[in-house]
Amino acid sequence: MIASIKIFFEEVAHLAMFTFQFFKQVFKPSYEFKEFIKQCYLIGYKSFPLIGLTGFIMGLVLTIQSRPTLVDFGAESWLPAMVAVSIIREIGPVITALIFAGKVGSGIGAELASMKVTEQIDAMEVSGTNSFKYLVVPRIAAATLMLPLLVISADVIALYGSYIGCNINGDVSFPLFILQVFEKLSFADIFPAVIKTFFFGFSIALIGCFKGYNATNGTQGVGKAANAAVVYASLGVFIIDMIAVQLTNLF
Amino acid sequence: METVVEIRHLKKSFGKNEVLKDINLKIEKGENMVVFGKSGSGKSILIKCLVGLVQPDAGEVLILGKDICKLNDDELNALRKKVGFLFQSGALYDSMSVRENLEFPLRGNKTNTKEETEALVIEALKNVGLEDAIDKMPTELSGGMRKRIGLARTLILKPEIILYDEPTTGLDPITSKEISHLILEVQKKFNTSSIIITHDVECARLTANRMIIIKEGTSDITGTFKELSESKDETIRAYFQ
Ligand SMILES: Nc1ncnc2c1ncn2[C@@H]1O[C@H](COP(=O)(O)OP(=O)(O)OP(=O)(O)O)[C@@H](O)[C@H]1O
Ligand SMILES: [Mg+2]
Repeated sequence: MIASIKIFFEEVAHLAMFTFQFFKQVFKPSYEFKEFIKQCYLIGYKSFPLIGLTGFIMGLVLTIQSRPTLVDFGAESWLPAMVAVSIIREIGPVITALIFAGKVGSGIGAELASMKVTEQIDAMEVSGTNSFKYLVVPRIAAATLMLPLLVISADVIALYGSYIGCNINGDVSFPLFILQVFEKLSFADIFPAVIKTFFFGFSIALIGCFKGYNATNGTQGVGKAANAAVVYASLGVFIIDMIAVQLTNLF
Repeated sequence: METVVEIRHLKKSFGKNEVLKDINLKIEKGENMVVFGKSGSGKSILIKCLVGLVQPDAGEVLILGKDICKLNDDELNALRKKVGFLFQSGALYDSMSVRENLEFPLRGNKTNTKEETEALVIEALKNVGLEDAIDKMPTELSGGMRKRIGLARTLILKPEIILYDEPTTGLDPITSKEISHLILEVQKKFNTSSIIITHDVECARLTANRMIIIKEGTSDITGTFKELSESKDETIRAYFQ
């Protein structure tokens, strides 16, 4: 018990040092710009179909499921607004981040871990390349910038899914749907929700890189790193979300 | 004579496992030093200490006159460009083609034009006899080919010191001989100094100027190939059979 608590705090300390190292390296000149663009493509663009699909289903299902309750209250015209608020404030960012953690977090963890255990990272180091700068910094930076874009597109697609959901059992024209959505939606719904996604993206890639870059124990370590990356990144998303909600409510 | 590598009282242990206890070593410019030792005796750890991949517990490591434990990151990277390292496992970058693998160490040199880089890559591949593999991915190569590409990648920066970790292990006798001759050729052409870890007696016979046998974490057994292979001590002769 004592030993596992000690290991936990050691791990947290290492993660803190890793984060510090990131901020130290990210601003130091000689930027790996080409790697950054490549990672934006791999992390952002390549995740788009998956995230678009889940966004669509999310909007559609949420609308179909909420409808009966609202009909009972005779508040059917509130359906678009209610779905939009829950998607934009909460479900869109969190579900997208969780899918992102499963795809990108585990991918980064597995890739870096296999490079580590096959000595490829050592090989970069001895050829005079700063492997942290080349491998870790572009991945974290790309994920931090790409996840918000993915969340915004998922939100938009989810609203479209909701529009289709509204028209399965009812009849709402597209302009009316949009009107009903934006009647209830304010800047205070959108802005904090977007801000927190930067932190989601950052923490997912940070944990993936941390687990991968520090992997040990051969091929077994690769599986462990990929697994731990998803588990802790998902947990991290919920924790950050909780903190973000508390902070938003303060203002 | 100019000393390019000097190791004094090097110590390294992993937990209770004392791998290296007291290693002392000097390598002069243009000299090939072959290292023998049982599997697990700490040969790979020794050369990893030389490039700062493994931090020694005690002792000094001087490379080209600089104590590598006292360098900052930028100085260390600059020094590492002058030291080639051939990994026991090859350590090719799986996600990159052979060409990109070879271009990787050249990235820092902004002075090279595209054509110059291309020429260097082709030349390095010619040295190991694998020009055809230039656009292959590492997974498409055989074990021996990977080893030779790893060697080409090590040689492309024309390092002053080369550390070979088992350059011929797992290769057929003919290719092994070619690699041994390549090591000699590089030594003559660029006057490089090398540390060659090997279990291959033939490779040692061809390439060694001096030899060292790591035993129980110490480096007391040294001499030329002839001296050691004809040693009166049976346990030393055993390494050559
Ligand atoms: N990261 C590590 N953690 C713990 N012990 C290690 C580590 N790396 C190496 N060792 C131990 O150090 C010893 C020496 O390892 P090393 O790889 O240097 O052997 P070697 O002489 O190169 O053997 P081989 O000829 O098989 O390559 C081994 O006993 C190994 O168990
Ligand atoms: Mg070894």
